[in-house]
Amino acid sequence: MGDVAAGRTFTLTPKTRGLSSLRELFEYRSLWWTLTLSELRTRYKGSVLGFLWTFLNPLLTLIVYSVVFSTVMRIRMAHYSAFLFIGILAWNMFASAVQASAGVIIRQAGLVKKIYFPRQVLPLSVVGGSVLNFVFSLAILLPFLILEGYQPDVQWLWLVPITLCEAVMAAGFALLVSALNVYIRDLEHMLSILLMIWFYITPIVYAPYMIPHNWIQLFKLNPVSGCIIAFQSVLYFHSPLHWKLEAYTVAFAVFVFVVGWSTFERLSRRFAEEV
Amino acid sequence: MLDTLPAIDVRNVTKVFRVHLERNNSLKDKLVYLGRAKYRDFVALKDINIQIYPGTTTALLGVNGSGKSTLLKIISRILYPTRGEVVLRGRVSSLLELGAGFHPDFTGYENIFLNASIMGLRRSEVKKRIDEIIDFSELGGFIHEPVRSYSSGMYMRLAFSVATVIEPEILLVDEVLAVGDVAFQEKCIERLRQLQRRGTTIVMVTHDTSIVERMCDQAVWLHNSVVQMIGHPSACVPAYLDAVTHESRKPMSFDQSYGISIQNVY
Repeated sequence: MGDVAAGRTFTLTPKTRGLSSLRELFEYRSLWWTLTLSELRTRYKGSVLGFLWTFLNPLLTLIVYSVVFSTVMRIRMAHYSAFLFIGILAWNMFASAVQASAGVIIRQAGLVKKIYFPRQVLPLSVVGGSVLNFVFSLAILLPFLILEGYQPDVQWLWLVPITLCEAVMAAGFALLVSALNVYIRDLEHMLSILLMIWFYITPIVYAPYMIPHNWIQLFKLNPVSGCIIAFQSVLYFHSPLHWKLEAYTVAFAVFVFVVGWSTFERLSRRFAEEV
Repeated sequence: MLDTLPAIDVRNVTKVFRVHLERNNSLKDKLVYLGRAKYRDFVALKDINIQIYPGTTTALLGVNGSGKSTLLKIISRILYPTRGEVVLRGRVSSLLELGAGFHPDFTGYENIFLNASIMGLRRSEVKKRIDEIIDFSELGGFIHEPVRSYSSGMYMRLAFSVATVIEPEILLVDEVLAVGDVAFQEKCIERLRQLQRRGTTIVMVTHDTSIVERMCDQAVWLHNSVVQMIGHPSACVPAYLDAVTHESRKPMSFDQSYGISIQNVY
């Protein structure tokens, strides 16, 4: 009985939520973690090799690239399959998070309609799943780089903040599209086209220096480029990070997150009625 | 009792649903109708005021469509009030539907953690109570089977165990007691009594008026989206039963019996 007084007080009105929801999200971190893990587990559920696919998938992709780009299509860039693999893995973390979170509120309608919890947990756990998947695929990428003759060095530590920055950006977009998709369901389908275009305007299959000079500023506006280029600088080119570009990328990531969060906040009030 | 603040304070709550006459969620429809989307407003709750004090048990009574479940969903923060506000003091645990929040492919054991984390509990808190939860559910070896193989009674046992063993400060129960067999129902009621003794505030929706009379301190009778009567079960239950039996002799008309008031039709 004495605990009741110490309990938390919530006031529900048609409008207010504000910053208190960030703190509340933190209280629900164990739900986020549980859902993140189940996101990974259900991905390969029912398959014979199960969790092993998390590693097999990037490994097989890598083998295909190596064969195609060393025997069939000969690209003059040295270690091209390594270059491409870095870009693809980094891009996939972003793209799969955004694409899969678009429909997450509708997929989890059963939860949204019946139980209260901060709804942000849903898209954020999708993002968590993608990030973890990326981290696991590093277990294939890094040994491959060493095999290709790259020496592990301290610069690799940059992987942590770069991954974090991309995760924040992905989370911002994920919050935005998951909330909008409840009201405009075409978004989920439009996204796959948009992401494909986005893939080609990001330096993944080509290196930044191949972009025609008068276009380069335009390409730099694409915030995902900053993340991908950072990964390539650290792992492939062994060049220092471009500070101006990375500062822009971090600022953009924070901006997208704030926009995504507040949009989600506003739109989530009627989720239970709309799904 | 009255010198303490209410655990649940519902103030002037109105809930209006937008009933879409046509589903137009696609971009094409949005553009075509652009703000002229066809919907009508449906007032599910109108100016509801209820104070529920800590440690008391309240029943929501009313015929189907009177707004009970909507009110319970607003208290559990699933729906937002259109107007008015609700103040909650304490950790809320709700049992609105069987197995909501269960993942069918996970085992009962894994679902205990999933379900408890949905209610905002940390893993360590669940671990401390895991044996008690399993014991109470009486699922035995089935606890390690995926829940998709469970019967509805087994679902209910597990859901009820999780929701009550975590000792919520406020417990919301929507007509779920009806599923279990008589023995388990009795066990649930015993469990609810135990929570009552510990000072848990309980709000339940039930059509079983004998449970209301046996267990509740307060009854709220909702009718046509408004509070018809609020008071002690010994006064509310007979009045409610009287009205219901009287009402049922009349032919039902759509907007009266279901509490639908059509305000603006575009």
